[in-house]
Amino acid sequence: MVKSAIYLCLIFSALPAFAQRVQAELACKPAKTDFIYDCTIKLARNGQPLAGAAITVGADMPSMPMAHNVKPAKAKPGKVPGDYEAQLDLEMLGEWAVKLRLSGPVKDQLILHYNFDEKGAKPVIRSGRPLRK
Amino acid sequence: MIFDLIQNTFDGLAMGASYALLAVGFTLIFGVLRRVNLSYGPSIMFGAYCATWVHLNFQAGLLALALVTIAGAALAGAYVERLCFAPHTQGSAIAAMVASFALWMQFEEVVTLVMPKHLYDFPPMFEGEPLAFGPLGMRVEALVMLACALAICFALHRLLYRSRFGLAVRAVIDAPVAAQLAGINVPRILGLVFLLASSIGGLAGWLIVSTHTQITPMLGMWSTLKGLLAMMIGGLGSLPGAVIGGLALGILEAHGQWFLGPQARDLIVYLLLFVLLAWRPRWMTTQSAS
Amino acid sequence: MDDYTIGVLTNIGLISFIALSAYLLIIAGEMSFGQQGFFGVGAYVAGVATAMYGFPLPVAAAMAMGAGAAAAFLVGLPTLRLRGLYFAMATLAAAEMFRIVFELIHFQREIDGEPVGPDGTQGFRGIRWVFENGVEPAGYLAMVWGLLFVVMILFLLVERSKLGATLRMLGEDPELARMLGVHVERFKLGVVAAAGALAALGGALYAHHNTYIEPRNFDIMLGVHALAYALIGGLGTAFGPLLGVLVDIGVLEGSRFFQGYRMIVFGGLVAVLLVFRPRGLLDEKVVHWLRARFISA
Repeated sequence: MVKSAIYLCLIFSALPAFAQRVQAELACKPAKTDFIYDCTIKLARNGQPLAGAAITVGADMPSMPMAHNVKPAKAKPGKVPGDYEAQLDLEMLGEWAVKLRLSGPVKDQLILHYNFDEKGAKPVIRSGRPLRK
Repeated sequence: MIFDLIQNTFDGLAMGASYALLAVGFTLIFGVLRRVNLSYGPSIMFGAYCATWVHLNFQAGLLALALVTIAGAALAGAYVERLCFAPHTQGSAIAAMVASFALWMQFEEVVTLVMPKHLYDFPPMFEGEPLAFGPLGMRVEALVMLACALAICFALHRLLYRSRFGLAVRAVIDAPVAAQLAGINVPRILGLVFLLASSIGGLAGWLIVSTHTQITPMLGMWSTLKGLLAMMIGGLGSLPGAVIGGLALGILEAHGQWFLGPQARDLIVYLLLFVLLAWRPRWMTTQSAS
Repeated sequence: MDDYTIGVLTNIGLISFIALSAYLLIIAGEMSFGQQGFFGVGAYVAGVATAMYGFPLPVAAAMAMGAGAAAAFLVGLPTLRLRGLYFAMATLAAAEMFRIVFELIHFQREIDGEPVGPDGTQGFRGIRWVFENGVEPAGYLAMVWGLLFVVMILFLLVERSKLGATLRMLGEDPELARMLGVHVERFKLGVVAAAGALAALGGALYAHHNTYIEPRNFDIMLGVHALAYALIGGLGTAFGPLLGVLVDIGVLEGSRFFQGYRMIVFGGLVAVLLVFRPRGLLDEKVVHWLRARFISA
């Protein structure tokens, strides 16, 4: 009984349960008010744009986790399939871990690291590699 | 190889001089108040940001910027002393420390509200090539920093042992109640020592940012951590110990960085601190500030 | 409840674990700057267990607690004799060593065609147990607060027992405790290990809430915040640290009014509060009064 359960587990874990993870990219420009950014999110899977996902966008400061609760925004579908638009209301400039919580066809959470400054957002580079998925 | 070793030691001494200055200010406060001021670094950062603001808005010379940094740090220090240390001289050390941490958060937010960019340029102290001794090099800023550290340590020693003020300070350290009874205004002495320590911190801050020619809000945490580390390694509570601790920390870091990389460097420093604390050799248990 | 409320409440629950862990040490007479290290150990151990080896979260959380207790025991053993600033600095040094070790660890496995596991300063991505098992945010919130509830019950039971009295005596006067026959060293090690396990449990839950952790999450800021929450809330009862977290994250964060000035308001408030209440809002006196008034009457 136990053995067959283990086998069952093995079979299931061998299946490619999630064919490919969702990839996301972020482009932001500052809105008129300080610390508010208009962002476009591009979702893709297997190199194809991923449309129809419901995204909640939040953010956290890596150097002080749990303390900065940025009000999560729901993203609206953008002009092109796979594009989504959301407004982020951050508390200060600097590095933020942007949290994308996906529901709908895919359930997942993606964390993107971007440096926010007066001009917009750039991916964070650490140990020579950009820190993003 | 041998040149590397010597060069690393030079670089370490240069860095260590700034740690030594930070530790001297820290030690002064700890020696007299028996309290840790976590806002020590952030006060320095506040002063340095004041100077950066002046630099961006006015034409100001090096000396003026140094004075602004010192004044800003002293002002911030006075605020910290009034709110976090004066009310807790009798009470718990942990309350004073947590209160000083709360003000740290204030300094960081004030600074980032007024100057929101992550990084600002700061005018260099000295423009020109480092001094060369054969294959070895030494930055002029490093020599200035070392000279300042030694001069301040010497001046403080004179102040503590050759002046009425120093006598009062030592009396307060050794026997606060007796000092009070003998007519010494203890709160005033404590306040003055705090101001003095913050000013030394301000000087250290100016030397550091004008050597690195840039400033970020991280300067606050960096100064507090390095100052604390140097003070602990130097034995907690003696001024020469603080200088030696700072220089030792600098040299250790320089060699660690060169041979093992930045992460291993920090690992070694913390490992050394942990071992020293657990083992507690006799020179680490001296408790007197004088 | 909307996403925002759920998010804030979950964060309050998560940070309460490390605040309680700092509180436990304070009432035993020790101030630790290093509880973030054990929080990090818990986060990494539990993350590795679920994301790389497919353990269910409850098992992973138990492993994290074990690892946290073991790490705290190892840190506690050589630092038992230290008090005050010396202990605080020793725990800080230990926590920073943990953080740097997290930066140095590169340990990954291929899962579903992508590498998963701690990757030094790049962090540890893909701790997806919550998503793979269809736990909704509200469900996770219930899990966090359910566990916190159990921890609180344990705290309240201990504080009402002889064990709690010994704990506070140790904090007030270790020599007296020794004379009364308490094995001070052994007792303290137990407290240190329990506090480590508690912080590690919080870390395990944090890792699975966030799906991503990195060494920088566990630097001194987190530890000092935990200490501050415990002290602001009050050292008289285990509700104190919760109150501290609630005051900071709940009230100030929740009211958008202070946006941009939050730290200025909160920092000033804390400093002034500590002038009048150096042992926090719910200090021993208040708790004693409340108890006499409402429980024993």
